[in-house]
Amino acid sequence: MVPIRYNVRSLLVRKVTTIATAGGIALVVFVFAAARMLGEGAERAMTSSGRDDNVIILRKGADAELSSGVGNDYKKLGDRPEVAQVGGVGAIGEIVIVITAELADGSGGLSNVLVRGMPAEGIAFRPEVKIVSGRAPKPGTNEVIVGRAISGRFKGVGPNQSFELRRNRPLQVVGEFAAAGSSYESEVWGDLDVIRKYLGRESVVSSVRVRLTDPSKFEAYRMAVEGDKVFSVKVMRERDYYQKQAEGTSQFLTITGTIIAILFSIAAMLGAAITMNGAVANRSKEIGTLRALGFSRLAILTSFVLESMILAVGGGIIGLGFVMLLTMVSFPVMNFQTFSEIIIGFQATPGIVVGALIFSAAMGLLGGLTPAIRASRVSPIEAMRA
Amino acid sequence: MNAGTYPARNLFRRRGRTILTLAVVAVVVLIFNLLRTVDHGWKVGAEEAAKDRLATRHKVSITMQLPKRYIDDLRDPNKIKGIKAATWANWFGAKDPRERTPFFAGFAADHHSWFDVMDEMKVDPAALEAWKQTRDGAILGDVLAKTLGVKVGDNLVIASDIYPGEWKFKVVGIYTPLRKTVDRNSMVFRWDYLNDDPRASFSKEQIGWVMSRIDDPSKSAEISRAIDKMFDERDDQTVTMSERAFQLSFLGGFGAILSAFDLVSIVILLIMMMILANTVAMSVRERAHEYGVLRAIGFSPRYVFAFIVGEATLIALLGGLTGALLTMLLINGALGPMMEENMGAFFPYFRTPMSVIGLSLAGAVVIGVISGLAPAIGAARRKVTDALRRVD
Repeated sequence: MVPIRYNVRSLLVRKVTTIATAGGIALVVFVFAAARMLGEGAERAMTSSGRDDNVIILRKGADAELSSGVGNDYKKLGDRPEVAQVGGVGAIGEIVIVITAELADGSGGLSNVLVRGMPAEGIAFRPEVKIVSGRAPKPGTNEVIVGRAISGRFKGVGPNQSFELRRNRPLQVVGEFAAAGSSYESEVWGDLDVIRKYLGRESVVSSVRVRLTDPSKFEAYRMAVEGDKVFSVKVMRERDYYQKQAEGTSQFLTITGTIIAILFSIAAMLGAAITMNGAVANRSKEIGTLRALGFSRLAILTSFVLESMILAVGGGIIGLGFVMLLTMVSFPVMNFQTFSEIIIGFQATPGIVVGALIFSAAMGLLGGLTPAIRASRVSPIEAMRA
Repeated sequence: MNAGTYPARNLFRRRGRTILTLAVVAVVVLIFNLLRTVDHGWKVGAEEAAKDRLATRHKVSITMQLPKRYIDDLRDPNKIKGIKAATWANWFGAKDPRERTPFFAGFAADHHSWFDVMDEMKVDPAALEAWKQTRDGAILGDVLAKTLGVKVGDNLVIASDIYPGEWKFKVVGIYTPLRKTVDRNSMVFRWDYLNDDPRASFSKEQIGWVMSRIDDPSKSAEISRAIDKMFDERDDQTVTMSERAFQLSFLGGFGAILSAFDLVSIVILLIMMMILANTVAMSVRERAHEYGVLRAIGFSPRYVFAFIVGEATLIALLGGLTGALLTMLLINGALGPMMEENMGAFFPYFRTPMSVIGLSLAGAVVIGVISGLAPAIGAARRKVTDALRRVD
């Protein structure tokens, strides 16, 4: 086999060409990895809102909290032996609406923000939630707290500001909260009864949550509640519910990103092919010499394919280096289930990094194959005579 | 020999490389056009939407409804001047229980006025008459009817996102589009059928949104303000906007993805620039000796410069034209009609406009010139003796 050092040195000699080709591949890998990191970020933000021992109950047929409605007799859903009492309460009923808010950046753009009304126990029900500035809202008042991911993003939805749900019925923001990076951080939380009264929906809640004494009690609880004719509800593990919520958004991001990256990679592969073709043409004398020294056709073929792959993986590593900078920024994406925005971070995983490297190696392989075949066919005698 | 013929003759000296480079430019132009078409398809509704139509909805939330009596206020010429006709609808969010299609737009509308205001949806007068006679009658878009495999006279069972249970309808008509931005994948049924059902008691006598047709499109801003002012003192305030802005308010969060697309379409041009610059640099390096000869026999550096930039531009232009041709064939000929049929709710119109094709061609030529510049300057500046001596 031809030593790999030969290939590395050849690449370093053709500096401009190497940089241009690797740069093209770096850009493709950047786009590929960025899209997958965004999809991963969306999935992580949305699924980390759920817990294994929590159960969410929606109206039968509803896919999301937004379109669901359960009557006021929901409190009975907590009166079962499988349910743990959190702060003395079994069933947490919550109301969820999306409101139209104007972006605070002055662009006049509109987006939707999710507002959740919950009883006083609602915050205690989610131990990951921490007030990071200001204070917790007083129960039974129009005070609300805003998730830190969207705080200040919309007009009126920031600390010490207020926005109206209806005429002369404002909600006052008194603090910001963090929720371990979950999609709760893109919500506004207030008092269940006040928000229901403002909306004129005193008789329903959107969803009901209960905490099980043990995750294994889920089936027993589901059978009992779904079988109860009084309620016409659907019982889901909270984690499964959020997993399903995340599916649409994260699939959309990953699929769109992958399609774009595959199209881009065609251009990058052709670029690699041009470079390697040039290399083969310029080095026919060298190749002839190698053949004359006794290297087989296969060795030449492998050598040139390897050179192309080294070039591509080098570009891939550069692209990955830049894409890691994205983990410091966040990006608004749309939750297709609620029409509202969630702000997510780019999330790198080992799978994405390895995937991007394999992707760049594949570009090098495919782009370098034809030139390498050409190289292996060089006749030593003719090449050395030329 | 001049600055035109020399690059043209040289173009296919390295046939393989030129063809590959042309392919790169063509593919890049195609991708660029695709990305811009997504963006254009998203925004085209605004240009194509009826200019004489306004949508009024709840100011606070797309999920909140308005009292039905608002329609009487809107229709009263003593309160608002300039409204010719107004109609209303409620979102139903239809799902097919048999899952032949994942999701489509279903809404309950006023059967007396809906198709008068939404006149780009063409319905047979007999079907319209049948609708007015049939309480559970539904009118479907032609594409939706095909997907569901139903025709006039058939029964149809649909579930909703919002209202519990299964709902039975009778198909009384099919609408066809008179304008390219009409979603052909939606279903409309009678508002009174929904309103009188006990399962819809929580939204009894409430309406989702109002569509008004105005006399004079130039007064739309003025009329919008007048409408919102009329309801400003009421419990449920309204916001009135153009029809497209209304549609987009459901998908506001989508905007950020489109700005990411803007960025990505610049990235693809950068990739093209790198690859093109590489090709030119490789050719110039190989022909350094030849340029030396040209200089030695009397061509000025300016000529050498023009030969190199000219060749780069020519490749970019030819590749760009190929890409434009591919765009017409693949996007406008194949992908566009497919998108319009399957994703009509998002992209009722998905074709690459000439303005985008023109932009991509101009972009290709500019990048051709830029990528030729650096090697051309280098070659033009090189001393004749150096160029002739150079061997590599």
